[in-house]
Amino acid sequence: MKTRVFVVVFAALLGLQQCGRSDRADKPIIALVLKTLNNPFFMDMQEGAQAAAARLGVDLIVQAPEREVDVEKQMQIIENLIQRKVSAICVAPSGSKEIVPAILKANQARIPVIVIDTRVDRKAQTESGAVVLSFIGSDNKDGGRIAGEFVSEKLGGTGEVAILEGIPGHETGDARLLGFHEALAEQKGITIVASQTANWERDQGFNVFRNILQAHPHVKAIFACNDMMALGAVEAIAAVDKKGDIIVVGFDAIKDSRAAIVNGDMQASIAQHPEEMGRLAVETALKALHGENVPSDIPVKIELVTKTKLDKLTSH
Amino acid sequence: MKKELLIQNSRQLGTFVGLIVVTAVFWILSPYFLTISNLMNIAEQASINAVIAVGMTFVIIAAGIDLSVGSIVALSGVVLAGALQASLPVPVAILLGLGVGALCGLSNGLLISFGRLPPFIATLGMMSVARGIALFYTDGRPVSGFSAEFRSLATGEIARIPSPVIIMIVLYILAHCILHWTKLGRYTYAIGGNEEAANLSGINTRMIKTTIYALCGMLSGLAAVLLTARLNSAQPIAGLMYELDAIAAVVIGGTSLLGGEGTISGTLIGVLIMGILRNGLNLVGVSSFTQQVVIGSVIILAVLIDMAVRKDRTILLAKGIIK
Repeated sequence: MKTRVFVVVFAALLGLQQCGRSDRADKPIIALVLKTLNNPFFMDMQEGAQAAAARLGVDLIVQAPEREVDVEKQMQIIENLIQRKVSAICVAPSGSKEIVPAILKANQARIPVIVIDTRVDRKAQTESGAVVLSFIGSDNKDGGRIAGEFVSEKLGGTGEVAILEGIPGHETGDARLLGFHEALAEQKGITIVASQTANWERDQGFNVFRNILQAHPHVKAIFACNDMMALGAVEAIAAVDKKGDIIVVGFDAIKDSRAAIVNGDMQASIAQHPEEMGRLAVETALKALHGENVPSDIPVKIELVTKTKLDKLTSH
Repeated sequence: MKKELLIQNSRQLGTFVGLIVVTAVFWILSPYFLTISNLMNIAEQASINAVIAVGMTFVIIAAGIDLSVGSIVALSGVVLAGALQASLPVPVAILLGLGVGALCGLSNGLLISFGRLPPFIATLGMMSVARGIALFYTDGRPVSGFSAEFRSLATGEIARIPSPVIIMIVLYILAHCILHWTKLGRYTYAIGGNEEAANLSGINTRMIKTTIYALCGMLSGLAAVLLTARLNSAQPIAGLMYELDAIAAVVIGGTSLLGGEGTISGTLIGVLIMGILRNGLNLVGVSSFTQQVVIGSVIILAVLIDMAVRKDRTILLAKGIIK
């Protein structure tokens, strides 16, 4: 009796399995691998990609490691997508260098790779011979420069400035820092008194900036390399009752920081348009799959977001 | 009679059935799952956790715990990477990485056996210390770009089997033998079963415990070698939460957190179940949020089943039906 039940169950499973096999569609499957899905920036990117995929009639798989810095997990995801035989992989690398072995594996499987948001380290790429079809993203250095110019204009050329850095060795954060430093280099009256990492995170932004404020009570402006850390700094400022005394500039212009800019907690952020990146990634992947030539570098606009700009938007 | 025999071997059997079940489920759900290349892929991805889990099995059988393995992976990795960048010969650099791991493990062991600290506290401290040194040593930056010779530890293959998988298999055979046929192995069980009794029967429990933690640290160093070769980069923030993956694999594999019981083959099955879950859920396209829920549930389920089986076993033992 038991044996018979077992045979029936097994046969049923086999049938199910065969069904699964037969519905393999000819539609291209595009994979979007993000750094994480618990950061609004990447959620916007996902939405942009999903809208484009629905419009163009392609299947889209979105995957991301649980933690933004987990380069090994991201590599596992890409390896698994290669096994899954997706048609193209679009990836926002968790690590500029660490992504290279994964790209190489996709190359070997003849799956085109499009890189979004964070550039692959040029040296690591040329040494390994990994091929990236196209890069879609903003010029982060330019964004850092815009932020620097805004800060120096607001300060009138004098004052102490602090910086919250992202994870060291991360291409996007490093480029933003470089741009910011370049913009302030010409301003002799402005000194950068502290520059520390808060690992892209809001709670660390709060802690680190509170410590900075202890050590440097005269800080007049803070530039955080992303909005999450900037929002942490805003809370730190509120905690020491200095609201309105310190200029806070973030990066990414996520929803929360836009709200903070409108109510005056933050003064500016740099908008990168992640939904545009997501849309372009799907479109570019599809073009490449149809055999069309795609540009190797697709810039996405980057701009300063201030209260005046946001007020103008809402009044329309 | 058959039933009694089944239950006698059920600690192993339960986890093995679990392995078959998850394999069957993903085989049904995805046509890409049960292929040679994907199975190799799973084994390769599981190899790092597998190496750490061996050390963790020894520690847990001896009724201890090691929370510092992830941080030791990071520290060993950056020291190894620094040595490679200073153009030291590859074997020397690897020995240095293993040595740093063993040293961290040794201090865990000394603090636990001679300092009489609870393992949870000693290794919690080491978790922070090793991570801090790794960050300090690298200034928070990844160290990357190594020779093809070194990278072949991750990229090479023999008879189409990736080299990390070969290393894993050799290590598991070795560890199985040590646990079953050496004094160190048998004393590990004795300490986990009843440390006081082991001590009274003349076992130098302090020495054995220190050795076990040093071994666990050295294996974390080995995991760091594999990880660094795989990513062509060593990060001071690498290995976050690796301790939990390793503990989960050991527990799914039927090793009791109370000590005194467990097997290396069980741990291997535990490691594979974790690897298959991650891979399969990716292939099926389950979001990373849901993946965490599934993996957590499997861990809880595995322990629940294990406890139920053990209860059965105790009853049969009491009735004298099995030995």
